[in-house]
Amino acid sequence: MPESWLGEEKQSPYDRMLQECLRGELKVVNAGLPRNQKPLTGLLDEEYPQVVCSDGSAHLFKRKELEYLASILDSNEQKALLLPMLIELTGNEAQAAVICAGEQEGKVVSKILDMPVIYEKGRITLYKPQLALLRKKLKTTTQYVFSPKIVQ
Amino acid sequence: MPQQLIKVRPTKIELVKLKRRLSLAQRVQKIVKDRLSILTMEFLQAARETVEAKKKLVDELSQAYKALSIATGYHGYIALEKELIATETDVKVTAGLRNIAGVRIPCFELRENGRSMRGYSLVDTSSWLDRAAQLSEKSLEAIVELAELQRGLELLGMEINRTKRITNALEYIIIPSLQATINYLTMKFEERDREEKTRLKRVKVLLARA
Repeated sequence: MPESWLGEEKQSPYDRMLQECLRGELKVVNAGLPRNQKPLTGLLDEEYPQVVCSDGSAHLFKRKELEYLASILDSNEQKALLLPMLIELTGNEAQAAVICAGEQEGKVVSKILDMPVIYEKGRITLYKPQLALLRKKLKTTTQYVFSPKIVQ
Repeated sequence: MPQQLIKVRPTKIELVKLKRRLSLAQRVQKIVKDRLSILTMEFLQAARETVEAKKKLVDELSQAYKALSIATGYHGYIALEKELIATETDVKVTAGLRNIAGVRIPCFELRENGRSMRGYSLVDTSSWLDRAAQLSEKSLEAIVELAELQRGLELLGMEINRTKRITNALEYIIIPSLQATINYLTMKFEERDREEKTRLKRVKVLLARA
């Protein structure tokens, strides 16, 4: 019998239930994560702009949002902006962080919030009301990431 | 509320297992709570937007009907019907899904049909009809937007209910009962230690007397 089977047999049903719950919740919350991000310019050229998620489903982008982002950024920034933009939740209920690969994310966030933003270690920290505002404008072009830090 | 103790053998191994179980339950609770707060935020946002979209739709539909009735009055019912007979077109909607913290929400977008003309003769009709057509197209967009928002609201509501049940079970039953059992076992072991110490002291006294 494989070792893992023996291990599972030793676990009580109670432990197994909790383990399953944890595994299930992590799987569910991060099911919408994209397998790979696409640049804005590429998405604008697609007939149905979408990315494939980690669970195999497709995440559709609204053309209106893409056009709005294109109106904010210049052509070089459009090439550099990878979508969907990831919003990391780190266990602190009052805060979230936008993961930035470059300055273009900061420009977008700053334009939407109508205030300057601060980068810190590749992240822009946002408070809940700001997050709500960002999500209101960019519904399909942003995505939540439940950071592994939460479960540590 | 007194917490129900979990039936376990009072051994140190069981205590270690219980502590491990407690940390696991707390990790699950953290994730679920975070998810619940995000879902609630999105739900409130969707509710606000649904109210706005409904209001917008009612306004636009009433304007469209008003414009259509003016156009009907201007052209006459039969003449208008004759003009509009060739204007039927298929509505193209792009439908997909988006994922909010594990909830798959439908996403609709009305696509332009690519026709520059609406299908009726511009010579035989007036600008009243153009206005009615324009307003009807606008209200179609509002209908699609409202459909997306309303379905999203329903799905988010159902998921919030489910997540809340899990959070409550963890917060009020599972974690307190684990903590109570751990406390009970710890106290039992301490009591055992004290008994053992007293017994040893007693044995020492007896040996000293002998």
